[in-house]
Amino acid sequence: MSTLILFDNEAVQALGDPNHPKHRRVLSHVEVVAQRRRRAVPVTLAVPTTVRVEAGWDGMDRRWALANHLRITDEPLGPAQANVAAGIRSRTGVSVTDAHLGAVIRATSVTNITVLTSDTKDVRAVAGARAVKVIAV
Amino acid sequence: MVKNEAIERIAELLDSSDTETANTSMRLPRALRDAAALAVEELGAAPTATTLTAVALRGMLEALLMQAALDQHYGQHPQARPSLGDLTVAAAELDGHPLAGQSELLYQSAAEIVRTHPGANADDVLLWAEARATASA
Repeated sequence: MSTLILFDNEAVQALGDPNHPKHRRVLSHVEVVAQRRRRAVPVTLAVPTTVRVEAGWDGMDRRWALANHLRITDEPLGPAQANVAAGIRSRTGVSVTDAHLGAVIRATSVTNITVLTSDTKDVRAVAGARAVKVIAV
Repeated sequence: MVKNEAIERIAELLDSSDTETANTSMRLPRALRDAAALAVEELGAAPTATTLTAVALRGMLEALLMQAALDQHYGQHPQARPSLGDLTVAAAELDGHPLAGQSELLYQSAAEIVRTHPGANADDVLLWAEARATASA
């Protein structure tokens, strides 16, 4: 069964900054994913593009070289997802990035969804009826 | 070409939208070729054996790139390298394993297993920890 692992803002910040207190913890999860992908286990890392913006992850910036090479897929905020995200934000009052995260969760066809986050409560709120594994970083 | 240049170049090539194909002189074991053909024809594994091969090759290259980028990062930031215990906790969390919340047991199991099996990975430690927990229950 395929797995989708999504990053929230702090998970991205921790990934990108070797001095971040949670850097090694986030790398632990990425390393396990890398090991499993070598065994052809279907697992995808992804990040909503608004999360990238909030975390300051510029793909053209050399400081983000590690993150750029980890095959983390962008989840863009297109028109349909913007509508879903707007609805989530109106109903729950979460941030734009969390609303986008929720829209990604609700749109994916993958059934096994995991989120690396510092805010477990908001992730559960935006996921709606979708079953999500939430890992606190 | 030094290793970091190779990592950059591999990433560029994997990201390339160039769909031009090229014949290769790559020689496959005949049995593997025949197995791939059967998987395509009888199991619907992919539209063609070429697609099946390309998808598998891309998956492996992406996994190797991830690991190379991580190893390069650990070379520059040794303190960022996760321990076997860190990886075991991460693997347990990603799997939703019942022992995911028992990090002390997982770190202890990692320390024990590495004494006799230096090449053990996180999944090995999880199995060991699970066996220990079952035996002591």
